[in-house]
Amino acid sequence: MKRSGIATASLLGVAGVFLTLWTFPVLWALLTSFKSERDVLAYPPTLIFTPTLGNYRDVLFGATTILPNLISSFVVATFTTVLTMLLAIPAAYALARLNLPGKRAGGFYILATQMLPPVGLIIPYFLFLQKIGWLDSYKGMTLIYLTFSLPFAIWLLVSYFEDIPREMEEAALIDRAGRMRAFLYVVLPQVRGGIAVTVIFVFLNAWNEFLFAVVLGGNNVRQVTVAMFNFISVEQTLWAKLAAAAIVTMAPVILLGLFAQRHIVKGLTVGAVKGGGRR
Amino acid sequence: MSNGRVSLKKIVKRHGAFTALHGIDLDIEPGEFFALLGPSGSGKTTTLRIVAGLEEASEGRVFLDSTDITNTEPGDRDVAMVFQSYALYPHMNVRQNIAFPMRMVGMPKGEIDAAVQDAAKKVHIEHLLDRKPGQLSGGQQQRCALARAIVRKPRLFLLDEPLSNLDAKLRLETRGELKKLQRSLGVTTIYVTHDQEEAMTIADRMAVFMDGQIVQVGSPKFVFDNPATADVANFIGSPPMNLIPASYADGRIRIGAHELQTSCRVGGERNVIAGIRPSSVRIGPSGIPARIDLIENLGDALLLDLSLDQMTIRARTGTEVTSREGESVFFSADPTAVHLFDAVTRVRIND
Amino acid sequence: MQTPVAARERRFAIYLFLPAFLVLLVTTTVPLIYLAWTSVNRVDLTSPWIKGFAGADNYSKMLGDPRFWNSLELTVIYTGTTVVLQMLIGLGLALLVLQIPRGQGILRVAAIIPIVLAPVVVGLFWRTLVLAPDFGVLDFVMRALGFGSHDWLGDPNLALASVIVIHTWQWTPFAFLVILASLSSLPPDIFEAARIDRASSVQRFWYITLPLIRPALVIVVIMRMMVALSAFAAIFAATGGGPGSATEILNLYTYRTSFTELNFGYGAALAMVLLAVTLLVSYSMFRLRTAR
Ligand SMILES: Nc1ncnc2c1ncn2[C@@H]1O[C@H](COP(=O)(O)OP(=O)(O)O)[C@@H](O)[C@H]1O
Ligand SMILES: [Mg+2]
Repeated sequence: MKRSGIATASLLGVAGVFLTLWTFPVLWALLTSFKSERDVLAYPPTLIFTPTLGNYRDVLFGATTILPNLISSFVVATFTTVLTMLLAIPAAYALARLNLPGKRAGGFYILATQMLPPVGLIIPYFLFLQKIGWLDSYKGMTLIYLTFSLPFAIWLLVSYFEDIPREMEEAALIDRAGRMRAFLYVVLPQVRGGIAVTVIFVFLNAWNEFLFAVVLGGNNVRQVTVAMFNFISVEQTLWAKLAAAAIVTMAPVILLGLFAQRHIVKGLTVGAVKGGGRR
Repeated sequence: MSNGRVSLKKIVKRHGAFTALHGIDLDIEPGEFFALLGPSGSGKTTTLRIVAGLEEASEGRVFLDSTDITNTEPGDRDVAMVFQSYALYPHMNVRQNIAFPMRMVGMPKGEIDAAVQDAAKKVHIEHLLDRKPGQLSGGQQQRCALARAIVRKPRLFLLDEPLSNLDAKLRLETRGELKKLQRSLGVTTIYVTHDQEEAMTIADRMAVFMDGQIVQVGSPKFVFDNPATADVANFIGSPPMNLIPASYADGRIRIGAHELQTSCRVGGERNVIAGIRPSSVRIGPSGIPARIDLIENLGDALLLDLSLDQMTIRARTGTEVTSREGESVFFSADPTAVHLFDAVTRVRIND
Repeated sequence: MQTPVAARERRFAIYLFLPAFLVLLVTTTVPLIYLAWTSVNRVDLTSPWIKGFAGADNYSKMLGDPRFWNSLELTVIYTGTTVVLQMLIGLGLALLVLQIPRGQGILRVAAIIPIVLAPVVVGLFWRTLVLAPDFGVLDFVMRALGFGSHDWLGDPNLALASVIVIHTWQWTPFAFLVILASLSSLPPDIFEAARIDRASSVQRFWYITLPLIRPALVIVVIMRMMVALSAFAAIFAATGGGPGSATEILNLYTYRTSFTELNFGYGAALAMVLLAVTLLVSYSMFRLRTAR
């Protein structure tokens, strides 16, 4: 079917509008991060200015450094990812493949835990961690991060395990591997891709988390999503530094996201695709 | 090292309310090439998997050389299997695939290498050892799976439609090689197929499955010559046997208003199904009149569709028949080539 | 009745599953019980001397609390409009993008960017660089177009619309990507067959495309509702729930009650209502999903 040039042009126009819309805030922040605080306040907003790296220097090594916060974020996200994967991989395999007693109920339970509102979870966590002195600690923070990362990772991994032909394990069983080695030597190597994608998503979600971080954190554990507010106060906003900090914070997740781009739709829909107690 | 005699005793398999196997009894002799033949869904794979230990029987016992292996794990049964999909481990190269069953029992590396070479040579893939399965053609993958099975010198080979993913020409070649390989190894082999021709050509003996039951066991020739039921007769041979509702009395078969002779003798008068293989139908100057609906020329033979009272009877004749479509001819059958089945139970009547 | 082989497999499965299950039990279910218990107690850290069992007090207090009813209403509006907007824009854009000869790939990649950003950073981006009066880009554009400068997040009449736009901006790419993936997986020959059967393009959309991508649409609606119901960080960063309580959806109200006013008993009761709403919505959504 042939379309007129005008129709094609307007289609491209609309697509271009959305392209701009989705990338613009990040690009604008990138631009702003190279401006001096004075250039930021110019009206109308200017595209021509003397670029400076001063904001990045301040944000990384200066008085307003977020380096400790980046480290906090990294530690929490890494702990969360490692623990989550250690627990989720075996559980997902049992759910996807093995004759687990109460499999249906188990799967549904994991799905249901995802529905707890974070604002609801944070209240008992705060009260309890306060009581045992775990506020502002890595253990406390990692513990509550498991509440969203673990169910998510299990369901995502289940969908990858299910993609592997069952005959693969059966062949391994016949080849005298036994269940454990069939899992380790034959099944796991084939879900490497799925595991990598899951790691990326879990890390990304932990890195981006804010509510738990702001309530349970403190001077010791203070993630970068919370530190972002350092640049905003009632009296003044440090625009350019905020932009630089945001760019530093978001660059890793944007890179991760683009890296996992092909798998992102699968990762994003996994909860619902498996939902409704199908199994 | 024992020799690989398999016995199934009253094997029942249920999936919920559905019964896939209704009490299978089967004895397979050491060294035999044994085919499980039957239409799709008749329970062949289920039977094979129960022998492998991949599925558990709901009832009944499995014996291998007088050892009860019903509750033995697949890896402890000393059986090897080639899957329909081959189930090659995609992340390992051919060498690692073949070595896998021996690595799993901790065999020394030198012995593994020698065994892998040996097995690969037997199926002619020694030049492919460093490739990944994804880089192999279908036929090469099939050989790799075969090598992985023979490398460990098991007591029993299990093959589930191993040729069905190959193209027609390769299937014929591989069929012959498989038979030779089995002969030279002398290992008991159970071979699942839905292709009757394949079973006929490759097996020493076979069991015919229908609806979760074994309806006949015997050598391919015996089953072909003496089908136990009308359904077996219909399943084996191509084109299938003509099955004609008729009545029998005194060595004569009445089909509508017509009669055929049979060498078969049973007492009294009864309703029967007369079975005549297309190749036993004779076109000649006398016999039952019928019209030729269709002629298919196979080159070295003709297939005729004859119509007689709403029925279609197929005949396979030499190319010397000169009649045309639409013409009427007479047909008859060799009296010794007529099979009789009970009209109600469909079970074979003659001898 | 169990055979030894089956029993061994079960035991193996249990060993693999149990650690994750126990961790989830301890990290989600036990806190949930504690939350329910807190909601029937007086736990107010501003007046810690008033303690003890409160029965249904926290819940009955809600009935006469206009701020609660306001937050419930805002939750419904926020969830409803953001989900509808995401679906309509996402579906429309996906249909449109399928028609463009090239450049699909770029749009797919660009769509990833809003999704992977931290909502709190998105909220801050919009609050400062986009919507800030005088300095924000949008404000500049509006002024240039002659609509004048507005306090987009500070004006009670505009704040709710603004946070809805922010949420829609961040998550429409999700709907777009999933619907696009679903549309691209449809076999082209059925559309050719339909065209030969003389279906117009509207009829093809209505009778073929829509029924075929319905499962994907339902999935997207479910997921978007769940996320909208737990939205917090972007609003917190953009308005903090204000001005006044103009953008104070149930999440924000629960948070402020618990962690600003330190009334954990009442906060817990609000959280229980939020949980009930979430369960109700997901139950009806799953019914919708399994229907027909
Ligand atoms: N897991 C299962 N659940 C329910 N029915 C099954 C299952 N596995 C096999 N069946 C049924 O058992 C019957 C026999 O299957 P199978 O042994 O695979 O047949 P064949 O190999 O002869 O084609 C079929 O009707 C099949 O649908
Ligand atoms: Mg089969």
